[in-house]
Amino acid sequence: MNDKRDSTFAASRGSGEIRQKRVQVGQRQKQTGNDAHARYIQVRDHSFFYGTTQVLYDLNMDIPERHVTALIGPSGCGKSTLLRNFNRMNDLIDGISHRGDILIDGRSIYDPYLEVISLRKRIGMVFQKSNPFPKSIYENIVYSLRVAGRNRRAELDETVERSLRAAALWDEVKDRLRETAFSLSGGQMQRLCIARAIANRPEILLMDEPCSALDPVATGKIEDLIHQLKEEYTIIIVTHNMQQAARVSDRTAFLYMGRLIEYNDTEKIFTNPTEEQTEAYVSGRFG
Amino acid sequence: MTKQPPAKAIPERFIVRPATLWFDRFMNYFITVGGLSIIIAVSLIFVFILLQVLPLFRGAQVEPQDSFSVPQDDYVVMGTDEWAELPFFVNRRGELTFLDTVDPGGPHHRTAFTRAPAWLDETDVGVVVYNPLLSQLVYGTADGRFAILDVQYEATFPERGGREVSVELQETPLLSIGSTEVPVQHLAYGSSGTQAIVVVIQQVNERFEMHAVSLVQQRTLLGDGQWSVSQSYDLSEHLDAAPRHLLVPSDADAVLIGMDDGRVLFLHFDGQEFRKRQMFVPFRDRADRAIASMNFLLGDVSLVFTASCGANRIFSLYRDPQREVRVWGHTKTFPDLERGASFYSAAMRNKAFLIGDGRAASLRYGTTESIRWQDELPFSVSLAAIGPRYDRMLFLDDGHTLHSYRLDDPHPQASWRTFFGRIQYEGQAAPEFAWQSTGGRDDFERKLSLIPLIIGTLKGTFYAMIFALPIALLAAIYTSQFLRPGIKRFVKPVMEIMASLPSVVLGFLAALWLAPIISNAVPSVLLAVIAIVVAALVVGYLWGLLPQRIRVRLKPGYEFLAFVPVLLLVGYAGWQLGFVVERTFFIVPGESTGMQIADFRLWFPQATGLSFEQRNAFVVGFVMGFAVIPIIFTITEDALSNVPEAFRSGSLALGASRWQTAIRIVLPTASAGIFSAIMIGLGRAVGETMIVVMATGNTPVTEFNPFTGMRTLSANIAVELPEAPYLGTLYRTLFLGALVLFLMTFLVNTIAEILRQRLREKYRAVE
Ligand SMILES: Nc1ncnc2c1ncn2[C@@H]1O[C@H](COP(=O)(O)OP(=O)(O)OP(=O)(O)O)[C@@H](O)[C@H]1O
Ligand SMILES: [Mg+2]
Repeated sequence: MNDKRDSTFAASRGSGEIRQKRVQVGQRQKQTGNDAHARYIQVRDHSFFYGTTQVLYDLNMDIPERHVTALIGPSGCGKSTLLRNFNRMNDLIDGISHRGDILIDGRSIYDPYLEVISLRKRIGMVFQKSNPFPKSIYENIVYSLRVAGRNRRAELDETVERSLRAAALWDEVKDRLRETAFSLSGGQMQRLCIARAIANRPEILLMDEPCSALDPVATGKIEDLIHQLKEEYTIIIVTHNMQQAARVSDRTAFLYMGRLIEYNDTEKIFTNPTEEQTEAYVSGRFG
Repeated sequence: MTKQPPAKAIPERFIVRPATLWFDRFMNYFITVGGLSIIIAVSLIFVFILLQVLPLFRGAQVEPQDSFSVPQDDYVVMGTDEWAELPFFVNRRGELTFLDTVDPGGPHHRTAFTRAPAWLDETDVGVVVYNPLLSQLVYGTADGRFAILDVQYEATFPERGGREVSVELQETPLLSIGSTEVPVQHLAYGSSGTQAIVVVIQQVNERFEMHAVSLVQQRTLLGDGQWSVSQSYDLSEHLDAAPRHLLVPSDADAVLIGMDDGRVLFLHFDGQEFRKRQMFVPFRDRADRAIASMNFLLGDVSLVFTASCGANRIFSLYRDPQREVRVWGHTKTFPDLERGASFYSAAMRNKAFLIGDGRAASLRYGTTESIRWQDELPFSVSLAAIGPRYDRMLFLDDGHTLHSYRLDDPHPQASWRTFFGRIQYEGQAAPEFAWQSTGGRDDFERKLSLIPLIIGTLKGTFYAMIFALPIALLAAIYTSQFLRPGIKRFVKPVMEIMASLPSVVLGFLAALWLAPIISNAVPSVLLAVIAIVVAALVVGYLWGLLPQRIRVRLKPGYEFLAFVPVLLLVGYAGWQLGFVVERTFFIVPGESTGMQIADFRLWFPQATGLSFEQRNAFVVGFVMGFAVIPIIFTITEDALSNVPEAFRSGSLALGASRWQTAIRIVLPTASAGIFSAIMIGLGRAVGETMIVVMATGNTPVTEFNPFTGMRTLSANIAVELPEAPYLGTLYRTLFLGALVLFLMTFLVNTIAEILRQRLREKYRAVE
């Protein structure tokens, strides 16, 4: 019975200038070497609790930049929880706590001096259930710009077109940008949410079962999309669909009951997993 | 029995229990019937109120009822008893003929009988006037004397039922007035019980003389005694033209003389002396200024004039602000009659008068300038009278037949103008919206304008809402979007308890506790409010400037812990500062001592010309706000909390702050619900009764001054309905107020519902 209506990061609201700069300095460092590139996101001994219930146990993983990383595992194993930790969306929930650390570009996301808002601007998120705002298609996409105070018409127009093209939605909606987003179909809405998530050009894109409610055609479109987006974004995707994980991801992590069982190149996981449990799960004998 | 193959038995687990089906159907009907009966009940209430109100807008119903023949004579005065059963007629010689209209030829075997004052064989009569209110005839004789004749009707109610009216005459001896042995041409008489004057006009050798006497009544052990002359006055010097009309009001404090040339002279009598106060020309703008008739309306503070051309106007006494005395001024204009009036009768219960000439008769209402009834009669009228109960009109035609007409006009004062227009009431210098349903006297003119009440309703609602809306809405946003759920679980029920506070308690607190405090410290209250608002903004801004090191110490959702003490402190400082400000700026010279007094309550009326009352709209707004805040708060909070979590997380994940999320996503999405909340709050404020009744002086004002009270439609009903005679004009007017209230809320709610539907359509969340 947790009331999620609460937020926890007001303490870091305002006066973001300096800190944002620091983060940006951090961003640059990724270019420095191959090592940094492969260890773009580092999860270090990360445990997570809802109240007193522990749902993540001492996770350790390095997520490479501009690759697709898939999180797989049976229902309730903690995939969404982990994903929501990357942009601290779990802060909205009352009574959470964590141990260990998550570093992005070498900087802890739990750093009290880090502006959560700027962290979230840096990390786009696509939810399991599409959640367009009750606004027009256009306003949905430019929302992240508007809250940042960027209202220049040309920039907004340019962003809308770029994002919708990237989300493979432009041709379908270019004549009805002023219509409400609710007039779209389920698959279109999900792509709209992807377009919205990338409108502000984040670096990381978190996707929680983005295709779970979609038909194979829409799923295919979104998978193609992920392929394209990976040129530019670091993508972490949660999926229950093994074929999808195999098709779109470069690396795959298998979680089971809050523990990271195996984390390796996708090919390795699906052809020759080290762990017995992984083998059983990906081959469908378990789960 | 049939050859059909036996149907495969349905497995029991698929069978619906009949009770389930039955209950389902029953509930269906039950809910339908319930809903319909609510609609019907509301409509019936509406219809009921409407039925109470409609008779107000019916005109007078007049129909001929009876006619009686009166002995042939030349009559100059007609009078009647309360039920018009025994009217009398006075002829030129001064003899009274009574006519029994109930049982001509009945047990009394009389249809008409004649009486006369005993002194008639001594002298002839010059002039007779009749005062129907006092039921007194006053005679002026041909030899320069006068006498009063009381026509005392008495009604007995015998056991066999019905009513018997009998009459007795009581006469005073003849008293001298003016020049002896000269016939009295005009006579007027007024008696207030303590003071009485008689004024006569005589023509002595082509010259008009006017004399007045004041009378005193000798009290004896046996009750009222004889009148005797205490002082005589010669007023002839005032007569500079031929007089045509002479009137003395019942207060016996004035003489009014209508001259041949259209002027009216107003002499004031202060008990000692007669002084000329005013000379006016009622028909100054007409070609023919001659005054055809001049008579009082009930109460003797309005004069009904007709000009020979037929123009019909009312002049009323009002206080001249320059001269500081009461003078006559033109207040009402009626549609023209065909000619100047030859007959006139004023109603004895209201401001109606019956006026006309020849066959044309018209029943008019002084207050509202309206014609209640008007007709061409089949006979030519020589004398007319409205029955004392305002249920009958009597006309004596020139062929000596008395025509009795039934008059059914229960609400003569009612008209659109009465309820919604400006009216210049007697005694007022200008037309205005006024409500004053009762006065000390019978002849008091009721003021029934609903406008002050509507304004009062809007005023109360306005002040309640400007206080309640910001607080309730901001509190709801804060609670639902920023506050820790743990604390929120405690805040909401507390607010809901507040909503259940009976408004009597709130009104009681407001009237007896809050009103004195606030009125003692108006500047402090205002400053404290301003200080808190400004401080909230400043503290919020400074908080953002604080180094993050310090800010992270306070857990999100607990910011109020730092905030509330600051606000309390600032509020207190503002309160204290208020007294300093009052001492410095709001200074007036004391009335009696001339010393400088620092008091906002005195300063405000001086500076603005508006008044200051202790129980004012400010207090009402404050306390009614308390009644409204919990309602708006809880509904708004629910609406905000019901915004799908997905919208919130979607917005936050895109890097929006909590405030941006609340304003850009949550508020618009919940707008339909918030709108309902405001409307329900508004409805409560509009209809709120007890708080207004108790916390204001219930003065019907037409201004939005926050420092005066008001009277709302609902409070008016509560205050006056117990006193209003069943089905009377006031009773129905109160229902009209209820109808207006009903329509106001209906209108507001309908508009609100349409807007709400639109908003809901616009921000409909897809599930
Ligand atoms: N708000 C919450 N409060 C308490 N417990 C929660 C909360 N959210 C999730 N959990 C618990 O945490 C565990 C992990 O949940 P999570 O949503 O991360 O699973 P998941 O792997 O995403 O499952 P699925 O594949 O079904 O989406 C579950 O046991 C769940 O019951
Ligand atoms: Mg999940």
